[in-house]
Amino acid sequence: MGEIKPTGVFLTICKESVNGFDNQILAEYVRKIPGVSKVWITEDELDPRPEIILKEISQNNLKRFVLAGYEPGLYKTAFSKAMAEAGLDPEDVKLASFSESGITDNEQAKAVLFCSVHDIPFVEAKRNGSAKVLPETLVIGAGIAGIQAALEIADSGNKVYLVERSGTIGGHMAMFDKTFPTLDCAACILTPKMVEVAQHTNIELITLGEVAALGGSAGNYEVTIHQKARYVDVIACIGCGVCSEKCPQNVYSEFDANTSMRKAIYIPFPQAVPNKYLIDPDHCRYLQEEKCGVCQKVCLTNCIDFKEQDKDVKIKVGNIIVATGFKTFDAGRISEFGYGRFPNVLTSLEFERLVNAAGPTGGDIRFRTRDKKGNWVFQPAGDEPKSFALIHCIGSRDRNYNDYCSRVCCMYSLKLAHLVKEKLPDAEVYEYFIDMRAFGKGYEEFYKRIQDEGVHIVRGRTAKIEQINGHLSLRTEDILNKRLLEQKVDMVILAVGLEPRDDAGKLAGLLNIKQGSSGWFLEANSSCDHSGSSKEGIALAGVCQGPKDIPDSVAHGSAAASKVLQNIMKGKVNIPHEGLHDIELRAKELSTLREE
Amino acid sequence: MNYRVDPTFKTDLKKFGLQSWNDCFHCGNCTAMCPLSEDSFMFPRQAIRTMQMGLKQKLVSSIDPWLCYYCGECSDTCPRDANPGEVMMSLRRYLTSLYDWTGLSRKFYTSKVWEIGAILLLGGLIVLAFAIFWPSISPELTSEGGVRINSIIPLKWVEYGDWTMAIIVALLLMSNLFRMYLKIVHGAEAVKIPFFLYFKEAWRLIFHFSTQWSFSKCDGKKYWLWHWLLMSGYTIMFIIIVVFLPWFQTEEIYDPWHPQRLLGYYATFGLLFGLIAVIIGRLRKINAKFKFTHVSDWLFIIMLLLTVITGILVHVFRLAGMPLATYYLYVAHLAILVPMIMIEVPFSKWSHLAYRPFAIYFANLKKEAQKLQEKSGTNFATT
Repeated sequence: MGEIKPTGVFLTICKESVNGFDNQILAEYVRKIPGVSKVWITEDELDPRPEIILKEISQNNLKRFVLAGYEPGLYKTAFSKAMAEAGLDPEDVKLASFSESGITDNEQAKAVLFCSVHDIPFVEAKRNGSAKVLPETLVIGAGIAGIQAALEIADSGNKVYLVERSGTIGGHMAMFDKTFPTLDCAACILTPKMVEVAQHTNIELITLGEVAALGGSAGNYEVTIHQKARYVDVIACIGCGVCSEKCPQNVYSEFDANTSMRKAIYIPFPQAVPNKYLIDPDHCRYLQEEKCGVCQKVCLTNCIDFKEQDKDVKIKVGNIIVATGFKTFDAGRISEFGYGRFPNVLTSLEFERLVNAAGPTGGDIRFRTRDKKGNWVFQPAGDEPKSFALIHCIGSRDRNYNDYCSRVCCMYSLKLAHLVKEKLPDAEVYEYFIDMRAFGKGYEEFYKRIQDEGVHIVRGRTAKIEQINGHLSLRTEDILNKRLLEQKVDMVILAVGLEPRDDAGKLAGLLNIKQGSSGWFLEANSSCDHSGSSKEGIALAGVCQGPKDIPDSVAHGSAAASKVLQNIMKGKVNIPHEGLHDIELRAKELSTLREE
Repeated sequence: MNYRVDPTFKTDLKKFGLQSWNDCFHCGNCTAMCPLSEDSFMFPRQAIRTMQMGLKQKLVSSIDPWLCYYCGECSDTCPRDANPGEVMMSLRRYLTSLYDWTGLSRKFYTSKVWEIGAILLLGGLIVLAFAIFWPSISPELTSEGGVRINSIIPLKWVEYGDWTMAIIVALLLMSNLFRMYLKIVHGAEAVKIPFFLYFKEAWRLIFHFSTQWSFSKCDGKKYWLWHWLLMSGYTIMFIIIVVFLPWFQTEEIYDPWHPQRLLGYYATFGLLFGLIAVIIGRLRKINAKFKFTHVSDWLFIIMLLLTVITGILVHVFRLAGMPLATYYLYVAHLAILVPMIMIEVPFSKWSHLAYRPFAIYFANLKKEAQKLQEKSGTNFATT
């Protein structure tokens, strides 16, 4: 590194800590930079008149100046004049302008000062570095977005670790009956993809796994995955189901949105991948109190091992795709709708399961009642509800809960209305909406189709639901007809919105990526880079970045995959300079280069 | 009829305490939530729309703001934090200023200087009158050792003053009520009302004035109770001091179970209880209705509280046999009471004591008239 001529630094920030800058801290830092022989803080210490500056030049044997602050250019004339009079180069007065560099804090100001002293343009020092990229990729979350991304990367010949928290892949889409606007069967689209994941040689599936720690940097991440014990040997289990038949413990089924019961040893749903049983340790009597153990006794292949322990899997990957999805809004938070008090007020997800041919009633729409044990269950037989109301925007577009529009509810509500009409053509179906958002390809046409099917679509947000003599009574303003409606129906479906997962913040902390104000992971650029996260080498796919319907989630998964593949094919990723230390190193590097 | 859109209207309404005008996205939650809203009078959403569009002619003839008792449920559940309840409250202030032909109401609502200045001026005049006409005070005690309250000023003068004040306030209120009647019943959205209906529906005036029955339909009966205690205390006190002053303000101090004292105590209790509850409510913002407090709201509460406190102190000092303290507080009591009634009742917050029951009366007139029309199959609507 070349010698720096004796430099005088003049800090011009008028008062301490104005705009977040602290003269004292900056002065202390500048004094330590080799080559700086004198530092003045503001006009208190140096009266910037040419004759006085001239005196300082001769006293301290200065050869150049750096003027730093918000508008240091104000003082340049005086300094240049003094330099000329001293017989030095008047252009050797460098400006370190904080406003022009667009910096906001002391650390950045230090970097600008460092570069100015070394006569390196600030932008030069800020330029990115790069790192080599490992070809392996980690995909967190195996819903439709994660599956799509994993398949695309794996198909291109690169290794993918697909980590899923639950016992099966598939996510929310596996719970749906039909997709809008084409009314395709959701399972018919998803299940082949799930099977493909299971059979793909380039995909290593880690179910019951969660990311526990992240080390390394972009291109070379070291990830620790905490994998919970399954207590069933996945290879030995033949999925015969004898264990589940004999298990005495009944638990609400998560896959059926808690509308039916499963056992403590169970398979989430018949098409699950891996299609093997697992034990729910929170409800297994053997694991809780060492009683029972019936499943182990009846197992034909002897594949149940209660001693299996949780384990940590360590993997090295070049890129990470976050596809952790969403949770649905808890409708019980809005007391006016009586969710949780009135049995036939359902969430859309519950109704989605009810109307599904693989659901708790085999696809028949029935009333919900309490069974003998007090659990809420759908009646296996009996009357069918004759009138339905769907209420839009539950927990969405509502400043008491979530400000944003969840984007999918209008369309899935129309779809659910269609499913009701399909199963019960004589049923009366009402939809209460605030604004109808049918924005996608074929969506407006779908809206028209549902209207033609005879669904009564009313503009107005239902304010409250009361249960009167077994009927549900809804009070709504029919805005387009200037009437107050008091509508009695048998069943209400609340179109609950989407929310970030409860532990999205925890994952953001682990991966060091940013979240937006609503808790969704923040994209790299809101208009032209939706699938990049705020960190290099980590991409986002699906709803975890913001509410999306299925086609958009799939497209987003593909975009994330292409982002990862770009990095893999380039073989390197950009690493932005992050701290002062990086900039100092880079500046020194540059000034050495220039000397040579 | 066609209405003119006036985009500047909402800026004018801000002076009357309007908080926000563009938050509402018209989901209708407030109207459906409101226990008082009904098919013929749907509010608050439609009023918000009218306000946003600045349809002044429509607003002027609108009864809806007066039918709202501000329980705050609409604001609590509003998905947009648009505070529909507060919009209705600002509209009531605005309408009060429109009904008032003197123009003073507008001045008082939109300018602190005017309202406080007027209160100080009137109070000052009372003190001045005492200083000029009854400068000498002779402390006299009754045989029981109490203070002779009427020795500071002859009772008949106070009575004359009371009647003058009551007549001025009544004339102002009645003329404003007539203007309200013209705007609502014969205004832009007029319905032809058969003459006999005016008599048939008149009972509603007294009923709603004395019970505030509509307010009790709002959820949370405690607010209705607070309001009713405050109202009944005030009304009883007002009637006593205007009509029955010689019976009430006697030289002789009766025993505590005498009806004169019992009535006075009830009125004081009602006033004090209602006031303290409302003050705590507003300070702690316990409900959407107490979240925003306009200057006129505070001034009204403070003036009324001071009136009650000075009244109580007059009574206490009088019983304790402290003549000078009694007399000075009596003057202070009058100096607060007179501006409170003269400013608040005809021009400001307390005018709703007349506008609310009359609005309910007018609303029912319109409703009944419409029913008759539907029955007879003719359409008298002039719109």
